[in-house]
Amino acid sequence: MHFNWSALKNAIIDGVRQLASRPIYIITMIGVPLFCTFFFLDFMKEGLPLKTPAAIVDLDNTPVSRNVSRNLGASELVDLKYHPTSYAEAMDLLKSAKIYGFFMIPRNFEADAKAGRETTITYYCNMAYFIPGTLSFKTFKQTAVTTSGSIVMTTLVGAGVNQELVGTLMQPVVTQAHTIGNPWLNYSIYLSNSFLPCLLQLIIFQVTAFSILQEIKRGTSVQWIKDAGGSVTIACAGKLLPQFVIFSVTGLAIQGMMFGLWDFPLNSNPLNMITAMLLLVASSQAFALLVACTIPNLRFSLSILSLLGILSFSIGGFSFPVEDMYPAIGIFSYLIPVRYYFLIYVNVALNGYEIYYCRWDYIVMILFLLAPMGMLWKLKRSSLNPVYIP
Amino acid sequence: MKKIFDNIKRWWSTLFQVWIKEYRLVFSDLGVVLFFIALPLAYPIVYTLIYNPEIVYDVPVAVVDNCRTADSREFMRMIDASPYTKVAGYAANLEEAKTWMKERKVYGILEVPHDYSRRIGRNEQAVVPIYCDMSLLLRYKSILLSTTDVSLQLGADIRTEKIDYSPAALLSTAMGSTVNTESFFLGDVTQGFASFVMIGIVVLILQQSLMLGVLMLGGGSSERRRKNHGVDPEEIHGPMSASVLGRSMCYLTIYAPLTIYILHYVPVMFSLPHIGNPLDYLTFILPLILASTFLAQMLRPLISERESSFLVFVFTSVLFLFLSGLTWPRSAMSDGWFMLSSLVPATWGIEGFIGINSNGASLGTMSTPYLMLWVLTVAYYFIAVIIEKWCKRRDLHHYNLPSVP
Repeated sequence: MHFNWSALKNAIIDGVRQLASRPIYIITMIGVPLFCTFFFLDFMKEGLPLKTPAAIVDLDNTPVSRNVSRNLGASELVDLKYHPTSYAEAMDLLKSAKIYGFFMIPRNFEADAKAGRETTITYYCNMAYFIPGTLSFKTFKQTAVTTSGSIVMTTLVGAGVNQELVGTLMQPVVTQAHTIGNPWLNYSIYLSNSFLPCLLQLIIFQVTAFSILQEIKRGTSVQWIKDAGGSVTIACAGKLLPQFVIFSVTGLAIQGMMFGLWDFPLNSNPLNMITAMLLLVASSQAFALLVACTIPNLRFSLSILSLLGILSFSIGGFSFPVEDMYPAIGIFSYLIPVRYYFLIYVNVALNGYEIYYCRWDYIVMILFLLAPMGMLWKLKRSSLNPVYIP
Repeated sequence: MKKIFDNIKRWWSTLFQVWIKEYRLVFSDLGVVLFFIALPLAYPIVYTLIYNPEIVYDVPVAVVDNCRTADSREFMRMIDASPYTKVAGYAANLEEAKTWMKERKVYGILEVPHDYSRRIGRNEQAVVPIYCDMSLLLRYKSILLSTTDVSLQLGADIRTEKIDYSPAALLSTAMGSTVNTESFFLGDVTQGFASFVMIGIVVLILQQSLMLGVLMLGGGSSERRRKNHGVDPEEIHGPMSASVLGRSMCYLTIYAPLTIYILHYVPVMFSLPHIGNPLDYLTFILPLILASTFLAQMLRPLISERESSFLVFVFTSVLFLFLSGLTWPRSAMSDGWFMLSSLVPATWGIEGFIGINSNGASLGTMSTPYLMLWVLTVAYYFIAVIIEKWCKRRDLHHYNLPSVP
């Protein structure tokens, strides 16, 4: 069969011309993703939000209680910004999110503890803000347990129990967590690696549908198909190939910023991740093309792709595991390309496993490319009879 | 004197004319209706359904038991019994467990050392290493919670046993309980994921759907101007300050029932935290809606075409979510991002709504975000009026030139 090379060449030239015709293409294809990458990486550059504002209510005011204050103040994760004098005052600060947690030492704490009377250290954390709430909880718990432990130890040693025995008996069994791939518990490494590709996917979805269905909206689609020698495949290829090149460059620049400039873990051959990025770009284009063919209306296609693109951030299982979602919902995560990119990233870049273990993820992303084939006829039919419904 | 009176009359009549006309423009545009009504109705439900399981239970972990004693088996039984983890299998050695990890069968490995029992018997500290997959922090948190609880529980059991056999037995009752520690949680007491994230997201959905709809209407108006030599035939002539306010009043009335649905019924439907006073959070959210309508009218000149509003605006939802301080506290932001976040209505909206809705604060406690929302409302109103005026003149001039096709 004779392949119409000149038609493909014309289609590609048309595609490039379209991208150059309006600033919106270059802004959304290059400017937005790179700005967002810089935003994410710079925004969370400290890795963890250190020095979470917190408070201490010291109703005891003795050397022991002041020592607790000093210990808390020296910790890395919280910053004792306020020293309210009552529970009510501290609670107001907590509710208005000026602090994310406070620690309270009761009246007569030192006297009660030394005399063996029961006394209670309490701490309050605002879990409506997950990360600062958890971080202050962690610090408070540590301080509370060590304070209580040291007092118990003193009592026992004073009663004549061997000091070494007391030491081990405080914690006979300890667990030691090894956090593979991200020993710093860096939040940016955890989040940027999934959210930035997902953002790129959103933009690819939008630009693909926008550039193709624009022809139908403006009534130029008949000419568009005609220029491509009457083949809708060539017509689409002419638009999507130049976009593939630009998006790939953008995608690789995002990876370059993360793994290169910001030194995120890349425990494998970089080619594995580069391949994954190229496949992400191509499979996202294929996905968007499928939707555009099925619903050849610019407005509806764009709405649906935008909604799906935004939902991908949640349904992709980047923060809440897919296995724990309702099965009827979790199943949709397997329909979006960026999910497979994420699985490859975890296995390959974060954990450094052999790519054999994510072979299926690569294969599925390749299969995405075939998805629009069956629906192209519908795009062709609508292109030849363009109707724009406002 | 009469002239001033006429001007006032004209201002008010423009306001009401624009207000009424805008309903027609909104409801005759299917795309806008989709974003103004269908999206706020459906999105919170879809979102909450995704996160509604709230807590990550039964994370599969592998166990490598190099000790193989009753003690080590007890440890494993407790790990399996914990709500947060389950033992997916006993591996012969670490290599086998690693293979399971690579195959995504397990997300953590517990390796009990060969001298685990011996150390406990000798009154030495036994250390159990755990290897965690760090792809999702919630899974890591579940593994950490379960193993910490188990080691503390086992520790307490062992301690009681040892001290009971020692001469210090008399002290055993006193030692456990002289100093207690107690923790209390606010806002999201169950520490569920939906309860945390949805409260912020619903406010963002309000702002973003509203702004997207307004920008789409703006794009439509730009298209009409382009076709009609710079004049939009649907536009009512009169003072711009009245037109801008009139449009906002239309959007505000459309959004009033949706706001009640999103802020009251959605949390009730899914048992999310919801302890605020309705009068407080509805009063609070009013300037958020107004500020969003003005901000969107301010950005209208960026949109030359109805559909380009998607490309220009949708991605900002992700940025606004992070700028709001819901995940990364605002106190830890650098100065530049902090200032940028102050300009987004949703930042203050989320802060205030979480305070009132999740923490039970009063409107008075939330006065800073409330006042900031009003400041933004007033500022964006005046900027919107100036920009719209300028834009109208520009379009009239630009599209009227014979050289432009």
